[in-house]
This record gives sequence, C-alpha cells and structure tokens, in this order.
Amino acid sequence: MKYDFAVIGAGPAGYVAAKKAAGAGLKTLLVEKKKLGGVCLNEGCVPSKTLLQAAKTYHHAKHGSVFGVSVDGLSFDFPKAHAHKNGVMDKMRDGIAGLMKKYKVDVVEGEAVLQQNRKIVINGEEHEADNILICTGSSPAVPPIPGIDQDHVVDSTGILNRESLPKRLIVVGGGVIGCEFACMYASVDVPVTVLEAMPEICPNLDSEIAATLRTELEKKGVEFQLGSKVEEIGKSTVTYNDGSGSKEIEGDLVLVATGRRPNVSDLGFEDIGLEFSPRGIKVDDKGATNLPGVWAAGDVTGRAWLAHAASRMAEVVVNNITGRSDRMRYDAMPAVVYTSPEVAVVGLTKEEAEERGIKTRSGRIPMAINARYIAENPDEAGLCKVVLEKETNRLLGVHMVGGACSEMIFGATAMLETELREEEIEEIVFPHPTTSEIIKDVFMAVR
Amino acid sequence: MATAIIMPRQGQSVESCILTEWKVKVGDEVAEGDVLAVIETDKASFDLESTASGKVLALFWDADDDVPVLANVAVVGDEGEEVEEFRPEGQASSPVAAPAEDASSANDPVPQAQAASSAPVAPVVSAGSSGALTAGSGVSPRARRLAHKHGIDPESLPGSGPNGRVIERDVEAAVSGRPRLSATARARSLSGDLESPARGTGLAGMVRSQDLKVPGAVEGAEITTVKGIRKVIAERMIQSLGTTAQLTLHASFELSKANAYRRERLDGGQSKVSLNDVIAHAIAQTLKDHPEMNAHFLGDRIATFEKVHLGVAVDTPKGLLVPVIRDASDMSIEKISSEVKNLAGACREGTVSPDDLSGGSFTLTNLGMLGVETFTPVLNAPEVAILGVGGIVLKPKRKEDGSVEYVDTLPLSLTIDHQAVDGAPAARFLQSLIERLENNPGV
Repeated sequence: MKYDFAVIGAGPAGYVAAKKAAGAGLKTLLVEKKKLGGVCLNEGCVPSKTLLQAAKTYHHAKHGSVFGVSVDGLSFDFPKAHAHKNGVMDKMRDGIAGLMKKYKVDVVEGEAVLQQNRKIVINGEEHEADNILICTGSSPAVPPIPGIDQDHVVDSTGILNRESLPKRLIVVGGGVIGCEFACMYASVDVPVTVLEAMPEICPNLDSEIAATLRTELEKKGVEFQLGSKVEEIGKSTVTYNDGSGSKEIEGDLVLVATGRRPNVSDLGFEDIGLEFSPRGIKVDDKGATNLPGVWAAGDVTGRAWLAHAASRMAEVVVNNITGRSDRMRYDAMPAVVYTSPEVAVVGLTKEEAEERGIKTRSGRIPMAINARYIAENPDEAGLCKVVLEKETNRLLGVHMVGGACSEMIFGATAMLETELREEEIEEIVFPHPTTSEIIKDVFMAVR
Repeated sequence: MATAIIMPRQGQSVESCILTEWKVKVGDEVAEGDVLAVIETDKASFDLESTASGKVLALFWDADDDVPVLANVAVVGDEGEEVEEFRPEGQASSPVAAPAEDASSANDPVPQAQAASSAPVAPVVSAGSSGALTAGSGVSPRARRLAHKHGIDPESLPGSGPNGRVIERDVEAAVSGRPRLSATARARSLSGDLESPARGTGLAGMVRSQDLKVPGAVEGAEITTVKGIRKVIAERMIQSLGTTAQLTLHASFELSKANAYRRERLDGGQSKVSLNDVIAHAIAQTLKDHPEMNAHFLGDRIATFEKVHLGVAVDTPKGLLVPVIRDASDMSIEKISSEVKNLAGACREGTVSPDDLSGGSFTLTNLGMLGVETFTPVLNAPEVAILGVGGIVLKPKRKEDGSVEYVDTLPLSLTIDHQAVDGAPAARFLQSLIERLENNPGV
C-alpha cells in the first residue's frame, strides 16, 4: 500500500504524529509491534503514576493524624491497585484506538523493517510512504552485573507487573525511575534500599533539589547508599562496594533502573544507510535524519527521554512535512520526578548557565513560606529556586521540589518559552492561596 | 548665537559625503577648529571641523548617513537656543536632536500634524520630558505612512529596527498579526543595534532574543556596509559595464629596450623610473597621434581632449583609487614619475584631494606586480580606453637568421568603448604604443 506518511511505533511520538498528520489530510499508516501507547502508556508513565497514587493514598491515610484523621484496620490491597492501573491503561489505549479510527489512520500490528526508497515491510507485506517517522522508543538498559538474569531481578517493566509486595526491595540506580519506585514501595511500608553509583541521586537535577528529595524519601523509610557500585546480585542479597569494601544487603526483589537505550536494532537501519549509533538516530532540530523523507522522534533519537518531548518532536516533524516551518527547542523542556514530594524543573540550573558563560542572578525560597503548602504538607520540606540572566533579567530556569509541583511547572515553561523577564513576571497575578505562588514569591529572594 | 555647521564641499565633483563617525555628542563644548566628525567622500576621508565655538546643540544626521554638501549637519551655540530653524528638510525625526526646554508640539509643526492625522493619542515625543524623547528611536516615514493607512498608531508598536525604531516591517507585522518579539528580545532590541528576523525560532515563530542579529546579518559571515569608496566603485563599475560596449585587445611588447633605457638612466646618474612610468609616458606621447583614444563618450557626443590627463589606478587600503596626472602629454618621464609617486602616496594615506581624483581622459592600470599575466580592464567611463599592464612573460622569438631566442615581454590589454572607437584604430594605437616602447622608450 502507498501512504503519504508512515509512523513506526505508537508511543507518545507515534500516535501524536499519526493523528496530526491524518488530521492534516495525509494518508497515514501507524505500525506497532506491541500495544498502542508505547512504553509511556503500557510500561512507564501511566501505570507507574497510577500505582504511585495508590501508595500515596495509603500513606496519607496512615499519616493523617495531624489533620485529625485516623484509620483503624488500614490495609493495602496491591492486586486491587493493579486492577485500577490496568483499567486506566485499557481506557487510555481504547482512547488512542478510537482517535486513530476517527482520523482514519491505518493501524497495523507487527514488526516493521525499513528498506531502500522509503519502503517498509510489515508481516511480509510491503508498504511505501512519501515520509516515514521512526519513533521506536527505548528499552531498559541491562548493565553487565553478575546475577542479573534471575527471576527476582526486574526492570521497570517487570516491576509494574508484580502484584505482590516484597519483604525488602533493593533498587539499583537512584535516577528518576529508581526514586519513583523506591517512593512507591516505601509509602506502603516496604523497606527499600537504593544503591546509586554517583555521590547524589538524580545527577541531572540541581544538587540542592536532589538532596532535598533524598532527605524527604529517607523520611519515608528509603535508605540510600550513595557512591555505591553494585558488584553482584545473589539469590537473596546484593553485593555492592561503597569505596570502603564489599558489603551485602538482603532483599527479595531487585529493581534494576540504570537508564534506557534507544531501540535501533532489527529495523533495517543499517541496510538503508540511516545515520545512527547505539545512542540513537541522528536528527536535526526539525527531526530530519540523513535520509530524505525519513524522520525520527522520541527516545529513539537519544534525546530528552521524556514522553512530552517525544510528542513535541513528533509535532515538529509533522509540521515540517505539512509545510509549517517548526523546530525543536529543548531550553524550555520541563522534567518531573513523580515522587512524594514531586520534583519539577524547567530550564537551566545556575551551574549549567554559568558553564555556558551566562552571568546569572538567582534566588531560593523554602516552600514553608507558602500558606497552602504548609496547610497541606505539614511535615514535608520543599524548595523553589529560580535562575535569571543577569544582563536582561530573563528567566532561565525554575527548579522545585515539594507537593504536587508537577502541576504548576507548565507556568514556568510558558514564561521560558516567551522569554519573560523578572519585570513581566512580577506583574502576573497568581491565585491565592495556591502553592503556585511560590513561583512569584521566589523572585523576592533573587540576589 | 547658534551657528549651523555645514557639510563642506570637497572639490567640485562631490555632491554628498558619508558622515562616518561623530566625534562629539549633543551637550559637548567645542571650540572653533575642533573635530566634530569624520566624513568620507567617494575618494577619501576628512575631518569635519567646527566653524564656531560653544555647546553642541543638535546633530542632524546619524553616522553612515549620506549628507549632501552644504547641508546643515550640526548646530553650535549657547544652551537653550532654538535649533529647529537649522534642521535640514527630511531630518525631522533625527534621533540625536537635543530637546530644547520648550520643545512642545507647538514649536514642531511636523509631529503635530502627524498627531492630528493619526489618533487621539498624544504622541510620546511631544510630552515635553527629555526622558520620553530618549525612550525610542521614533518611527520611520514609511512605517508611519503604512500605519496611518491601516489606522494604527505607530508609536504604540514595538520597534524591531535599530534602537527600537518602528520600521515598515513592524507595521506589516501588526497588520498581519504576525508573531511578535518575546519580552526579552524586545528589551534587547530596544537597547542595542539589533534587528529581528521576520520569523523567529520560538513559539509559532516568535522572535527570541537569540534570533536577534545585527542588521543584515548572514549566517557564518561578517557583515560590512557598502559605503564610501566601495559604494562608489560598485556604482561606477556596474555603470561602466552597463553603458559601454567593451572590447579588449591583447598584445605584448619586448622589454629589452625599455629595460636598457632604465639601466642607462641609472648608469648615467639620472633618477630611477619604473616600468610603469615608462609605459605612462609612452601612453601620453602616443595618444597625441591617436586623439580618438583620448576621449569621453557622452552618448550623443564625443569629447576629444587636447591634452592627456592620465589616470593611474592605485590600490589603497580603502579600495581602488584613480588619481589623475593632469597634462601628462606635456610632461617629461621624470615629471610623470614623480607625479605618480606623489599622487599614489596621497591616495594610500587618504590625503589626496578629491579634485585630483577626477577629470581623467585615459587610464592606466597595472596588475603585473601581483603575478597577473593578462586581464581585461574595465573602462573608467566615460573614458573610451583603458590600458592594462600584465606581468613579464618569457617568450621565444625567431631571429632573422631563423634561430630562436628567448626574450622578456610584457602583455598589454587595451579595453575600448566600441561605441566610440572601432577595433582597428584601437589596434593601430596599440601598435604605435608598442613601437614606441620597443624602440624609443622615455623619449
């Protein structure tokens, strides 16, 4: 079959691109080898957030005494939480399927292999398209740790399918994924130890934000072993070295969360001369690869590793295909850690700005000055930091930890996208009392 | 008393000068003879000196403006004196005018008329506070016309021109609802000499601060403005090629006699002359017998000159200049040699008088010393001929006895305007010239 546009992979890049292109009148094909929605909907964002909410609800019920709420006979039914999770995923998948139908996108289940001249073979059948978008996503990286091939050793996909709680969870890797699962299990009273090779968790975050998050997770019962390299995973133990020698901890479930790798194998990339490496397909800021009419978006490009970034990359590609000049911008790309408290950041940290030779002014303010915040989060520390360009007072970055700050980071993102300066932001009205006021108040602390 | 400083006339042929740089600003105290600005004609640059003493009250032009000669450029006088009467026509929105204390709209009929025709909004410039006057760089006349056509107050628009000046594009953008500048981009463009592209890299093409460029920027290239000598050369060259019928004839002459002549001069204690001097002298002498080559083609008539006024192309740091040796046909080779030396030196130092850069009847240009063998010179219109000299070429020559020897030769390229001169007479001139250079150099 001949198409105007073929999309390989139905994750947050693929289905967004397919819908948008079909909406613009392109005859569109969407190929998916597993399930609509990709990692985000089936193995990542959506199921993990559902389970995190389950854990959070339990945690709030257990620790509600400050609000005068006490519960006798509190219990956590993990299979029931999983049922809710599965229900949410089904609903979202149905939503995507309905959307594809509505926009008359041909959805084909199968593995796609690319051939020369923009031909695609799926299930032995050959298709052709004027433009092809590759958004095959990523998979959990498998580090070379002895003993990693055991049943009780899981990756982020595997742990989401475990319907029983372990006695003790060991998390290898203190990045975003590791912290979210650590928080989830600790919130439902499972002892958790996180082994992180770097001196601090979430090394991409502002170090003070990361340290605040770590302290809050420790309060929930998560134990962190920083600067610790895992040497071996045994039947019921994990051996690690923190620089002072090998140590052993016990655990009946081990989560390996040491990052993700782009899915670039078995797709025929080598045969068509596509420029790529194990770190991803090379694209320009329009999403174009080295081959005319072949585009890529999302995790497979090795950039950003975020569902919303993937969707935006896909939009950029479709815009360029349909004649609207567009380009990918990463300087206002929000990122969130969905722990309790949440971390939400956008833009540059002070250190990153200074590495780029930008002179800055910056400020920090504890969430504890915010009425709504202390009313709702009495025992939780939070922090908001802001970075400005000294020369122009332009906002460069906002970094938050505390409460549900993921819901308000978009405001800072809009300010960054429109390059607002301190002068303009000061005139914006924030509703009172909301936690979002912290974004306005932090400017009072700017030096 | 307030005195206008005018753009002096630099020679009879100069109609305007580029004001390349102001050396003073409004409010500075100056004395008569102080340098106010650097100005540049198409030929050279000069200092503009003050003809009065006092405070600088107004500067009517921007750097890089092309100012007509005898136009008022500045006013020098006592604090508070009125300057508007001196303002040249069409300079109403000069960004560097000093706001006199009583500069209300009543004293300035131009903005008042504009305010009346635009909107019931008081124009910012008539607010009477000097702060308001320095806020922006005003509105370009084209932008104002377009804004009024669409019923928009141009003063209310953010400007993307230099220093935030509202230019036609800003009005177009306002009319078409095109994406605007981000807050930071706007602030930066107001504070510096930066220009915004029609479409930026931000939201839906919003112009971000990183998209601002110096005016006319080209990615990966440094931009220089075409002005002064470069602008004039550009105009002259395209005019020459566009209005003349150029034909180039190539020939070469044997150097042995010319070189022997130069050696003999040195041996005899006479002054040193260059090969170029020998050729210049030969041209001036030969043209006496070929007057049709010593002429200007003026479209409906041809001016044939009595004497030879020989232009000599000189490479200077600012570009090509062609000083003219007047009455070269009356000069000895020694005189020509010293004239060339003096004029070329003055050109390189920028001290040559504009009058020495015009009035030629024939031009000589030489690229031989730069390793060029032959080239096709472009006519210095309206002159009808130009001779190009290439570099020494070793050529075989058959002697009378049939044997072959090698001789040094110098290629000559004669470009003529075929509108005025035909190929054969031009060839005959070249023949005579070579004959002279091969047999009687320096005579």
